[in-house]
Amino acid sequence: MTSYGLKQRFSSVVVYAFLGVMAFLSIFPFLWMVIGATNTTSDIIKGKMSFGESLLLNATTFFTQVNAPLIFWNSAKITIIATVLTLLISSLAGYGFEIFASRFREKLYTLMLLTLMIPFAALMIPLFMLMGKLGLINTHIAVVLPTVASAFIIFYFRQSTKAFPHELRDAARVDGLKEWQIFFLIYMPVMRSTYAAAFIIVFMTVWNSYLWPLVVLQSNDTKTITLVISSLGSAYYPDYGAVMIGTVLATIPTLFVFFAMQRQFVEGMLGSVK
Amino acid sequence: MSDVTLRDVRKSFGAVEIIKGVDLDIKSGEFVVFVGPSGCGKSTLLRMVAGLETISSGELEIGGERMNEVDPSQRGIAMVFQSYALYPHMTVRENMGFALRFAKLSKEEIRKQVDEAARILELEPLMDRKPKALSGGQRQRVAIGRAIVRHPKVFLFDEPLSNLDAELRVHMRIEIAKLHRNLGATIVYVTHDQVEAMTLADKIVVLRSGIVEQVGAPLELYDNPANLFVAGFIGSPKMNFLKGEIDGGSAGRADVRLPDFGGAVVPVALKGDAPAAGTPVTLGIRPSQFADDGDAALPVTVDMMEHLGAETLIYARSAASDLVTIASPTRPNIQIGDTLTARFPSSGALLFDANGKRIY
Repeated sequence: MTSYGLKQRFSSVVVYAFLGVMAFLSIFPFLWMVIGATNTTSDIIKGKMSFGESLLLNATTFFTQVNAPLIFWNSAKITIIATVLTLLISSLAGYGFEIFASRFREKLYTLMLLTLMIPFAALMIPLFMLMGKLGLINTHIAVVLPTVASAFIIFYFRQSTKAFPHELRDAARVDGLKEWQIFFLIYMPVMRSTYAAAFIIVFMTVWNSYLWPLVVLQSNDTKTITLVISSLGSAYYPDYGAVMIGTVLATIPTLFVFFAMQRQFVEGMLGSVK
Repeated sequence: MSDVTLRDVRKSFGAVEIIKGVDLDIKSGEFVVFVGPSGCGKSTLLRMVAGLETISSGELEIGGERMNEVDPSQRGIAMVFQSYALYPHMTVRENMGFALRFAKLSKEEIRKQVDEAARILELEPLMDRKPKALSGGQRQRVAIGRAIVRHPKVFLFDEPLSNLDAELRVHMRIEIAKLHRNLGATIVYVTHDQVEAMTLADKIVVLRSGIVEQVGAPLELYDNPANLFVAGFIGSPKMNFLKGEIDGGSAGRADVRLPDFGGAVVPVALKGDAPAAGTPVTLGIRPSQFADDGDAALPVTVDMMEHLGAETLIYARSAASDLVTIASPTRPNIQIGDTLTARFPSSGALLFDANGKRIY
């Protein structure tokens, strides 16, 4: 074998070894979660890495301790409303930033992007005080409201709108459409892959959100799945088997959304308009 | 009535003036082509007629009504775009009927009009397809169909054939000409291709840097260009421009000396008096005007040849390296490097002053 061939082979080995480690690090928590759901707490603590026989027992414990339909309903309601509103409002903003020129557009846009640098922890207290003044503490509206104008999603939509053919907008104007009709009847369907990708990103973020719901949702009947699982795990004698069952169940909706929209997600990340 | 009138129409983007005062009368049923190099403002002017760009000053009338502030959909126009601008999520039928939906026509009426346009453009088998399943030519026909169903007063075409291959472009050009004949509609058409302009237009508007250089029928522009720019832009291959100076002359005639061609003197017919001796001028002669029996003679050396079958293009140079293009209808027995005398009738030559303006 030539030295060039050896070098190629060596670099392949390094690349695959690195990818293998990364894949393991990504998959391991899932695997551990699924295996954990079938084992008792003591087996989980001991680090048992094979399937056990306690699945039913864990499930029974989980459904006894937790009002599962209510917390899933809370999570689903918040996630769906927040996702739809975020997509609507942020895409409108992203479209507007790209399509309509004004003297202040770029300054405003830069200012908006700068907000991405502010950590959420710094915003939490003023937000909490604001929600308190609005009388929204312990309501789902308080969880939804801060998410709907997302600087990142606005940025994502503005970048994607650059690929939206301006002649389509011109054609629609000649056809007699008003600006809002162009947005809803032309832009939205044409950019559906972008919406699908944004849907997945926002859905996962809201479904998994923990800190802000923890701050504003105070009574048990308003809590989401992430809060409830966390509280199960921090009990005096935590039942990790039940926690794992809850975690598995909480993962299912995000997996479903991702696999259902996987093709559009990839298209959306690559650019909607071909 | 579908006349289009522009009076001192101007367009500025910030401090930059793009359209610098255009006056134009387009008669009902006329096929008018805006032609000019990239950036001359022809598409901007068309978009101003469509209402897609605002008019900074001046007046636009369509069918005798002022249209400056009227919404594009209310101007009685339909537009065909360079990229076709078909809605990708709709079928051909939906694309064609979309504007009619917003004009609040009944479903039955929409179906009737769409079917009629589909019949004219032979689109019937494609009605349920989405644009991505169509070829370039088919998409272009759908875009035209979408315009036809609206029964506009004026059709606006913005470089509609630019995205097609050469063969399809010729085919679609003929289709558009037929369409104009059958519909009798007013058409304003933008192109940078002077062949399209010559073959389609009743009237050509030559634009440069936001100014109308000349307006006229295709052959009028070809035979009697008002300046060097129009003379060079209209006609393919391009007109030859030979630097010279007035050597003498009289009323109705100027003798032009061409120093780069061995001091050859060409007598050019004029309507007025000849300019003073020594005045620098440019002599214009079309490649196709060279003929063996011409009275004017230029000594040249063959630099390059293109055999096109029906004609031969000979690219030759003078002793001073001035390039001359000669279009020969025959297949001359000459080789690269040969020296020959290119002859042309002096009666066909045009004269331009130092500013590029035609001296008649």
